[in-house]
Amino acid sequence: MGNEIIRLDNVSVRFNLAAQKNGSIKDYLKKLAHHGAAFQEFFALQDIDLKIGAGESWGFVGRNGSGKSTLLKVICGIYRPYTGTVTVRGKIAPLLELGAGFDPELTGRENIVMNGLILGMTKAEIQSRFDWIVQFSELEKFLDVPIKNYSSGMKSRLGFSIATSFQPDILIADEVLSTGDRNFQKKCEQRMKELLSDGTTLLFVSHSPGAISEMCGNAVWLDKGHIRLSGATEDVMDAYNAASNGK
Amino acid sequence: MKKRIDALMGMLRNFIAYLPLLNNLVSRELKRKYRQSVLGYLWCVLNPLGVMLIMYLVFSTMFHNSIENFPVYLFAGRMMFSLVTDGTNGMIRSFVSNGALMRKARIPYYIFPMSVFFSTVVNFFFQLIAFAIVLIATRTPLTVHILAFPVVFLQTAIFTFGLGLFLAMADTFIRDTAYIYSVFLTAWMYITPLFYPLSALPDFMQYLISHFNPTYFYATQARDVFLYHQWPEVALMLRGFAAAFIALAVGLYAYQRGKDKIILYI
Repeated sequence: MGNEIIRLDNVSVRFNLAAQKNGSIKDYLKKLAHHGAAFQEFFALQDIDLKIGAGESWGFVGRNGSGKSTLLKVICGIYRPYTGTVTVRGKIAPLLELGAGFDPELTGRENIVMNGLILGMTKAEIQSRFDWIVQFSELEKFLDVPIKNYSSGMKSRLGFSIATSFQPDILIADEVLSTGDRNFQKKCEQRMKELLSDGTTLLFVSHSPGAISEMCGNAVWLDKGHIRLSGATEDVMDAYNAASNGK
Repeated sequence: MKKRIDALMGMLRNFIAYLPLLNNLVSRELKRKYRQSVLGYLWCVLNPLGVMLIMYLVFSTMFHNSIENFPVYLFAGRMMFSLVTDGTNGMIRSFVSNGALMRKARIPYYIFPMSVFFSTVVNFFFQLIAFAIVLIATRTPLTVHILAFPVVFLQTAIFTFGLGLFLAMADTFIRDTAYIYSVFLTAWMYITPLFYPLSALPDFMQYLISHFNPTYFYATQARDVFLYHQWPEVALMLRGFAAAFIALAVGLYAYQRGKDKIILYI
């Protein structure tokens, strides 16, 4: 393993299911009355140890609700670990949902700037990558149309183009290839491979075993918030597929 | 101590790094508001003028009014009051309404209430243009006393930001806050002498309002400099700053205490 770029030690993430309900005064009073009986804890991740080296590509598999997205969000710094530590070195491009932060009322052009800023790019960086973004997303004609009139495919094309317009140290992609047509999916895979070969570390969640096998050298199988198996992609995928088919 | 300073410097660097985003969010707020309208940004000036005109017609003809230069009295007070109410009212839902984004991207949370706050401030400057029109129309002269206005504005802005931040935190954890606050705002408008003189109230009310109602401090100081051509009373200014810094301290404390939990409640 080369330089360690991401390291999780004994990480757990806890949610309070009771708190997820919209808090209202009624709930609050109930909680007071029951002395915190409304506290319903749920561990989305438990005792996760993971070391990822720079330039590696990791795929994450597991059933819905197994903690894949939560794991990526902890690495991004969106959730804090309840226990344990997360250490990340380098700049992350999170693709947790293509076009998160797009403002429907603003045009494509304005949203490119806004989204770039949200991703932590500077204005100068956005300017210098602007043409590339427009070209890659194939949206030249629709640049001055408000995003609310875009199709979901168009939105994900734009989102992907912005997030991969620069060379991030770490690219985190959560189910991003599921929208968009075949052609664009191919193009995205191509782009991710390009970034990989230039040294970006890739973390990739997908429900398509084919895509994981193709993109990733290593894989993690998550099950109910625990790591069931991690290692070389083939081994993990074989075990995972066997388990899924066995049911 | 050194650790503290380092942490502070880190926060400052972080803040500066996010200034372009803040700037973009503020201009988005304004753009979005006026994009579809024919007159566009002109509405920033026309809207307060229109509201002002209606209030003037209602209160000067329907009620017998003894206030001299009533348009300026009304506008000066109202613009300070609406800086507080527009700002806090916008900020109160700023975490909740940006929840989707907060769950998907890593941005310091305070950016959201702050962007609403600054767009309110920009709107306030447009209101000042409308106010200038009222001053000209009523032939009210400007005197050296307007030099004190930035100080009045500063008190009001700090108060607004602190209160707005506190309310935004409170609303994140208890969603009823916004509804309660909107009712409270109606009451607040009536207990602030905007379209009536303070002297119209019974003595004990006068005492309470002039000592404990921040919007009264700010409205009165604005009238002092624009209408009565005098320096604001020192006691009032001190009360104004005290209210502002108490609000700021409470807001920052609430944010500091709760910011790590916001993500779990939006």
